[in-house]
Amino acid sequence: MMSLRWARLIAWKDLQVEFRSGGRLLAMIAFVVLACFLFALALDRSLVPARNVAASLAWLTILFAATTGAGRTFDTEEEDGAFRHLLLTPVSRHAIFLGKSAANLVLVWIVTILAFVALTSFLGVRDAGSIARHGAVLLPGTIGLAAVGTFFGLMSRHSSLGDTLLPVLTFPLLVPVIFFGATASGRVLTERPWAEISGSVRLLWAFAIGFVAVGSVLFRYLAEE
Amino acid sequence: MTLSARGLVCDYGPTRALDRVDIDAAGGSILAVFGPNGAGKTTLLRALSGERRPDAGEVTLNGAVVSGSDPAWRARVGLVSHRTGLYRKLTVGENLAFFGALHGINRDRQMAVRVLDEVGGADLADVPVEKLSRGQRQRAALARSLLHDPDVLFLDEPFTGLDPGGASTLEAMLQARREAGTVVVLVTHDLERGLKLADRAVVLRRGRRVLDTESSGREAEDLLPFFTAGGTRVQ
Repeated sequence: MMSLRWARLIAWKDLQVEFRSGGRLLAMIAFVVLACFLFALALDRSLVPARNVAASLAWLTILFAATTGAGRTFDTEEEDGAFRHLLLTPVSRHAIFLGKSAANLVLVWIVTILAFVALTSFLGVRDAGSIARHGAVLLPGTIGLAAVGTFFGLMSRHSSLGDTLLPVLTFPLLVPVIFFGATASGRVLTERPWAEISGSVRLLWAFAIGFVAVGSVLFRYLAEE
Repeated sequence: MTLSARGLVCDYGPTRALDRVDIDAAGGSILAVFGPNGAGKTTLLRALSGERRPDAGEVTLNGAVVSGSDPAWRARVGLVSHRTGLYRKLTVGENLAFFGALHGINRDRQMAVRVLDEVGGADLADVPVEKLSRGQRQRAALARSLLHDPDVLFLDEPFTGLDPGGASTLEAMLQARREAGTVVVLVTHDLERGLKLADRAVVLRRGRRVLDTESSGREAEDLLPFFTAGGTRVQ
């Protein structure tokens, strides 16, 4: 319970800092709008029905935007050396990981909603399917994205390659999330029965829980010298 | 209460930053650590506080081994460094409330004002850190380090950027901590101020302890020969 309380404090602090500075979120939003606009321009809808590709394009947009944001997860911690002081409090390392992942998840959700709205608008997709079902697919997928982004966001800070390393580390791990997420979202968009979707959602939850659990355990080895 | 280190070794790749360093810092006293750049002063502080796991040796408090992986030890440690460790977009009060809450201290504004008052910064509570001068930030950082009434206080170049008023407030605070029985370890380049404040002085050179002495009656010039190899006096 104490860990959850600490995680909540850290997540709330991160979001306060983020919404006051806005730099990371604005960069993510700008990326999403531009990417969706370019996808809509590049797609020849006379050859490819928009509804069939909208889900895949949305997931790719979310992946790239989440990676952009994850690379800056620890910027405010490093700015004046606050991370050093955070690590010197009695807070457990997994609480720090959970708190920062939760704050990242909120940002990823903002860009996720924006990506779906922008893509369906730009591509002219009407009747995009049940919002509840989209939520059921996106929730575990974005938890996985946020957890992996937070973990490797810190790792890339410790590397001389910096943010350029982040996609190389995260994309291979996130292949199953993108695959099952895009498949499930595509089926929600085309209003297929839940029985055809639920298998992918269960796998997305398995990956999300796995990423959070492994990240929580390993984070201390990254955070401590 | 005594904080001790025995045979501390810290390596950064092929570079040995600390080489079998022994240190004793008693409660109710101030230990000043001096040395030229790259002598290992900050590494020593990190190893003592538990931020960095030593490659060999151990740190003990009253004979019991302490480690940065132990939350109970971290709860007893306070740190002031030349970087403030505060979040610029939050106010000073919000910073103190956040760190206080992580230490299990009630998150009320009065608490923040009370601690800030101790360091002469009671009027800073509602000001965002990014709007503060360097000296004001350092006062806020000092307040953060005292929030949880630490048993052991580490200070790494805490006088950097402080105006004379801020420096004298910090000196008074250190004297108060000494009287309260806190173990205080101070790393500084300022030999005169360090010797004036400290009860003991240690000089590190190339990761080794080359002097460990009472500081009373010592002048800065007495320590300078220990900054160079062979003990040559620096002019």
